[in-house]
Amino acid sequence: MSDLDRQIEQLKRCEPLKESEVKALCLKAMEILVEESNVQRVDAPVTICGDIHGQFYDMKELFRVGGDCPKTNYLFLGDFVDRGFYSVETFLLLLALKVRYPDRITLIRGNHESRQITQVYGFYDECLRKYGSANVWRYCTDVFDYLSLSALIENKIFSVHGGLSPAISTLDQIRTIDRKQEVPHDGAMCDLLWSDPEDIVEGWGLSPRGAGFLFGGSVVSSFNHANNIDYICRAHQLVMEGYKWMFNNQIVTVWSAPNYCYRCGNVAAILELDENLEKQFRVFDAAPQESRGTPAKKPAPDYFL
Amino acid sequence: MEEEVDEKELKAAGAELLDGGRSGLRILGWEIETRKRSILNSSSLQLWEERLGTTHLPEMVFGESCLVLRHLESGAVIHFNAFDALSGWKQEALPPVEVPAAAKWKFRSKPNKEVILDYDYTFTTRYMGSEKIELNTTLEERISPKSAGELSWKDCEERIDLAALAVREPILFYDEIVLYEDELADNGVSLLTVKVRVMPSCWFLLLRFWLRVDGVLIRLRDTRMYCRFEDISRPTILRESCWREATFQALSALGHPIDSASYSDPSIISQRLPVITHKTQKLVMSGNS
Repeated sequence: MSDLDRQIEQLKRCEPLKESEVKALCLKAMEILVEESNVQRVDAPVTICGDIHGQFYDMKELFRVGGDCPKTNYLFLGDFVDRGFYSVETFLLLLALKVRYPDRITLIRGNHESRQITQVYGFYDECLRKYGSANVWRYCTDVFDYLSLSALIENKIFSVHGGLSPAISTLDQIRTIDRKQEVPHDGAMCDLLWSDPEDIVEGWGLSPRGAGFLFGGSVVSSFNHANNIDYICRAHQLVMEGYKWMFNNQIVTVWSAPNYCYRCGNVAAILELDENLEKQFRVFDAAPQESRGTPAKKPAPDYFL
Repeated sequence: MEEEVDEKELKAAGAELLDGGRSGLRILGWEIETRKRSILNSSSLQLWEERLGTTHLPEMVFGESCLVLRHLESGAVIHFNAFDALSGWKQEALPPVEVPAAAKWKFRSKPNKEVILDYDYTFTTRYMGSEKIELNTTLEERISPKSAGELSWKDCEERIDLAALAVREPILFYDEIVLYEDELADNGVSLLTVKVRVMPSCWFLLLRFWLRVDGVLIRLRDTRMYCRFEDISRPTILRESCWREATFQALSALGHPIDSASYSDPSIISQRLPVITHKTQKLVMSGNS
């Protein structure tokens, strides 16, 4: 058994790798990812997955439902880390699979694959806690800069973490972005990872936060028409039912973190496309309690004031 | 109930846990119950949007979760739920808070081509709990109905007895319920929770609205309620509300850290935030004496 296969087995048991192993794995992953396009081509059949957020045992449930890699070809739409308890193991397992089976798993970048965001929402702290230094966080966030920004399945389905950008009307415009950098606070690359579809606007909208685009049905229609695609598949937003179509089936949100943050009680979904691009959503629940490494933490009585 | 409570302690306090899979207890004239459920599904969310007259709700609305404290003799019910809290948000309708990146975006966006949404995405609410009189209509009461009294909160000078609350009495019942939560699209957190603990001598609860808009603002609105088990038929319920708020700029000027990671736990940093308003009130039951 090769070192990599052994590491994959170890990660599947939710046991993190040694720091030196992480470093070597990240370097290998970067060599593979640097060759990928900003609009990475993906062949069908493929199974599309949305946000995971460090919920390792629920990702194992996902693989149980969707089949193991490499038997199943996977596309993950980003947000592997933050919020859940096992961002390290989750991201490293996906990365090890990417290095082992580069043509059977595609990882694209979510807005949480960023230095700034991971310092606030958990991944940085988890690395410090598990390794005693920020080195592993540094190796991983360096890999983040190499992740592709989007994928195109059989030239017909465009996949991205967040959504569209007013600066982008064609896929070629995405191909020209220099992606090897921290996610910027504005511009096309930021929008692809951050923007959301919005029912109450027709064209473009601006979030009440003063930053962040919202796009309506006519924006999606023009984009799909101009690029000759059937629909857009994206993640980024929690959906209680696991997936949600909008704008007359022109865009679908797929969410793959069941019982999000271990308390929402939502189901998750993955989208399976067969060789003819026939769709099947597979909806699944959180991993049963007994299959998790540690028992669920119940709030301990607390003499709060 | 989250942890096994000593049967003897419950018995000694004259309390019994609720049965039938309900979470809570009955103690000295009170029935205290918590319910924790999943977030609302898409169709319920849509219904709530219509009822509240809004097109946006928090990402996670625990619409069927609640805390209910029922005084059995008077029928007075104090309860905490997401719907009333969101009505409070809708009524207050604060202007939106701009995130730091907004300054840069002003140059970029083309207002004539974009619709700028302007609802209060922080879901700040002035909600301090709900109360009502709910009479148990047993047969006997239907024959000679008690007149339903009214409940109202009156300002008072008394304070919640923190010294009494610091006494380590056994906690007979404890729970924490999230009413709603939003991640502000990864720009911070907006969270409304209520915690309750019931001891042999009293019950105490904390409703907390916690908001952090990264790099901009921290807002904490606490409502505490306290009731000693003294006069079983006419309980005294005190409510203390304390609103605190600070901008990251002001915190920085005072030499406090300004990274968001330092502000993940409101109970640790609340003292750093200046008090905006503070008042204590007492629940008055009228008309049913």
